[in-house]
Amino acid sequence: MRTQPVNQISEKGLKVWRLYGIMQTAVILLLAIGVGVLTYIFEWPKWIYAIAAGVVILVGYLIIYLFPKVRWLRWRYEVRESEIELQHGLFIVKRTLIPMVRVQHVDTAQGPILRKYDLAEITISTAATNHTIPALITEEADELRRRISVLARVAEDDV
Amino acid sequence: MSDKRFKLHWITAVIEVLKTLKEMILPLIVLFFANGLKDMGTGKWYIDYASFIIFGVLLIAFLVTGIIKWKRFEYWFEEDELRIEYGLFVKKKRYIPFDRIQSLDHTEGILHRPLKLVKVKVETAGSSSAKQSEAELTAITKEAAKEIESEMAAAKMRKKAVPVEDGMPILEVPVVEDAKVRSVFTMSAKDLFILATTSGGIGVILSGAAIFLSQFSEMIPYEWMYEEISSFVKYGLLIVAIAVFMGFVVVWGLSVAMMFFSYYGFSVVLDEQDIVITRGLLEKKRMTVPLNRVQSVRVIENPLRQMFGYAAVVIHSAGGGGAEGAKINLFPLVKKADIDGPLSEIFPDLNLDEPRQKLPARGRRFYYRMDFFWMIPVVGALGYFFFPYGLLSLLIIPLVIVFGLWQHRSASYALSGHQLTIRYRGFSLQTTYLMKKRIQSMEMRQNYFHKRQRVATLFASVKSGMGIFNAQVYHMEETEAERILSWYEPSVPIKKNASTLVGELEDKGAEA
Repeated sequence: MRTQPVNQISEKGLKVWRLYGIMQTAVILLLAIGVGVLTYIFEWPKWIYAIAAGVVILVGYLIIYLFPKVRWLRWRYEVRESEIELQHGLFIVKRTLIPMVRVQHVDTAQGPILRKYDLAEITISTAATNHTIPALITEEADELRRRISVLARVAEDDV
Repeated sequence: MSDKRFKLHWITAVIEVLKTLKEMILPLIVLFFANGLKDMGTGKWYIDYASFIIFGVLLIAFLVTGIIKWKRFEYWFEEDELRIEYGLFVKKKRYIPFDRIQSLDHTEGILHRPLKLVKVKVETAGSSSAKQSEAELTAITKEAAKEIESEMAAAKMRKKAVPVEDGMPILEVPVVEDAKVRSVFTMSAKDLFILATTSGGIGVILSGAAIFLSQFSEMIPYEWMYEEISSFVKYGLLIVAIAVFMGFVVVWGLSVAMMFFSYYGFSVVLDEQDIVITRGLLEKKRMTVPLNRVQSVRVIENPLRQMFGYAAVVIHSAGGGGAEGAKINLFPLVKKADIDGPLSEIFPDLNLDEPRQKLPARGRRFYYRMDFFWMIPVVGALGYFFFPYGLLSLLIIPLVIVFGLWQHRSASYALSGHQLTIRYRGFSLQTTYLMKKRIQSMEMRQNYFHKRQRVATLFASVKSGMGIFNAQVYHMEETEAERILSWYEPSVPIKKNASTLVGELEDKGAEA
């Protein structure tokens, strides 16, 4: 059994995901309200109210509470001397191994919500693939970017 | 170094005009028909002939721009770079260092051949768009093309001659002129015929015909056709069926002919560090692939061709180009028994043994389990709506299961030294040979059910042109997937087999 990567992503990342979940649920809530209004106007059967409410509650539970939690618990990364290992995934657990010599460049990006929580996402690119760690403390992300770029400088010339 | 500037051959202007015309042909035809077929006689000649006038003006404009483009285009060699200056209104300059050039692809079109000319496409790794190569010399003489190559070779030699930083003396290697050029693979007429007949070209032609027809649908006199057809149908269904069949035969014949023309004279030549692929009858193409750009080698065995004992070999290159530059047909069709010889001549380091490690029985069910999600509703619906006969769709289930079992049985893998061999079946059996240093990243995937059965899916990504090619082993033994991950992990020294490890420990114990 391989050991899991040691580092977890910031706990604030969980909060951000919950926030995204709340925003998405709000959209669905609006839709459900729309359906409810239509049902009232056109006197459709009553059980439509129940279904609309049920969908909102279920989706809310899943994308505000359960999915972010599972995803956060699952997300791990580790940056070692000669490779980066990631573990993530909701239903399918993906464990990715990226050797340092393959890394072409590292980007960090920060949207308004991430900035508010002092977080950044970091994207590691090889010649063919991209891998994103979604939420790291900005300082940590910068540090990681610097470290990877130093380590990746030993890259061989072949693509 | 000569700073002599070279021009393209004058036929370039003609080719440019034809190229523009080809792009403009549909709008022009529409314009022509929209205006030209109207009732004549508005009295004003410039309205009656508007479409012809527009057409003529455009043609002259194309011709002039073509000539200007040709006149403006210049290339020369300077400071170990290929320098190009071109542009219609804005003068553009492009400098390409010789050691950044991935390949020079030669194409001889119908217009090139009588004049002994060639089109040269310059590919670099960083070609920004998939369709466009870094530079294109539309028509130059073959001598001029040779000159570029020798200029490039000379530049690379100069570069090598410069001692590198760590002070290792570099031996000056004398240039061996054409001594190492070896023909590795050619296709016989029979192979060519089988390739052409078994290819999937029909689909391409059918869709092409459909697009063509849809463009002209407005001009087709449907009413007239309808009458014709209705009287035609009266002759009976049999004749209609025969007509449709004949139509298919013609389309198939066309696709065979197209394949035949484009793969005629297919040959692979090994030229020191490059693979040179030549093919084509009407349009002769020559493609150069540097060996060190090859990312993976894949043997594809289509069941249909497998029956005749044939397979195909495809290589993925990290070159800049689009689809054509990335996935290259190395041997479009080759006797399965004859693959190893030429392949190991091109890639001497490749271990071409059949992968022997099979997948565990525990993973078998995953090969068809997901299919039930679409099968059950489909079978249910068919059975309900077409009651007695719809139930025949139940036959899908055993078919899909057998197909899954077939995939499971076909899959295998092997680790040997720095090479990972993966074999899996979609419909065709694919065997991929991957070198460790060419794998960009590796991923192991497991869902809940996988974990319970202790199986996992393994993905290895390699670069293919601008994109990725994924080679995967589905539903393999979990511990084996982890072993391959550890094999790939740079910081873990390559683990030996448990048995040899124990043996070594015992040896050490004995020494102590």
